[in-house]
Amino acid sequence: MSEIKLAAERRTSFGKGAARKVRRDNKIPAVLYGHGTDPVHITLPAHETALALKAANALLSIDIQGTSQLALAKDVQRDPIRPIIEHIDLVIVRRGEKVTVDVPVHVEGDAGPDTIVNIEQNTIELLVEATNIPVAIVVSVEDLAAGTQIKAGELTMPEGAVLVTDEDALVVNITGLSAEEPEAELEVSEADSAEAAATESE
Amino acid sequence: MLIPRRVKHRKQHHPDRHGMSKGGNEIAFGEFGIQALEPTYLTNRQIEAARIAMTRYIKRGGKVWINVFPDRPITKKPAETRMGSGKGSPEWWIVNVKPGRVLFELAGVPEPVAREAMRLAMHKLPMKCRFVRREGGDI
Repeated sequence: MSEIKLAAERRTSFGKGAARKVRRDNKIPAVLYGHGTDPVHITLPAHETALALKAANALLSIDIQGTSQLALAKDVQRDPIRPIIEHIDLVIVRRGEKVTVDVPVHVEGDAGPDTIVNIEQNTIELLVEATNIPVAIVVSVEDLAAGTQIKAGELTMPEGAVLVTDEDALVVNITGLSAEEPEAELEVSEADSAEAAATESE
Repeated sequence: MLIPRRVKHRKQHHPDRHGMSKGGNEIAFGEFGIQALEPTYLTNRQIEAARIAMTRYIKRGGKVWINVFPDRPITKKPAETRMGSGKGSPEWWIVNVKPGRVLFELAGVPEPVAREAMRLAMHKLPMKCRFVRREGGDI
């Protein structure tokens, strides 16, 4: 994944009033830390940053008044409703340094007939070079039959990546369809409610 | 229908309806979801109606998650009763939903099917909702 350059400015005023003023100016308050350095409080351009963070584990090149630093987003606070990023924690990384990241699992292909593809783990943890983080781990389920299980250890790792997640962790599980599934569920839920009503106590 | 097996206290105060959801605002299990945009008391009957609407539309395949559980009793006094004489009897089981909360999730079906299933389910819910899907950076 290539670096995404973002121009940042140092922040000197803190607190919710100052943070709200920054957000009104279409900027995002952020903090940059890591490798034993003192935290640096910065503001980032809202639109460019939001576009950059659409991809998982985006490698950002933060330019703070002439000095450039590589960073990964460690924590992104989003508004629950509006498409606004409220604050970002950035962690400093160095070229060649290995970092532990959660990489998304993408499933491709169509499994065999009458099957459901259950993705049990949406991400897997990898130890990779900060400048060479894979966008996703692609798992092919083409023509796989019901009962097939793909575990983390069976995935094809990108070059230089080491699996951190347990090798026996189930990633993709292919199950068969049962014809009367919805009706069966209904019966179970009705039985549950009757039982619960009977056992209600103070 | 979803209902607690046993409760510590039969009657509770009404929960606060103000503010935004603090957690459960993102898709955690599936690919698609229904997100609440308004605060509401969501009853177990409404949850069940939405679930049935969804599962009947997707017919076979797919997996549905219900991310909320109605664990709060709401009481009601009988009609034409004078005030006083204590709190009414438990009438509904509700979950206090605040804006941003992802209520249902769905996986294993194509997006058009998920959209239609969730549109039908949203008609069973008492507040404004929207369809959300998992995005690359939101994991």
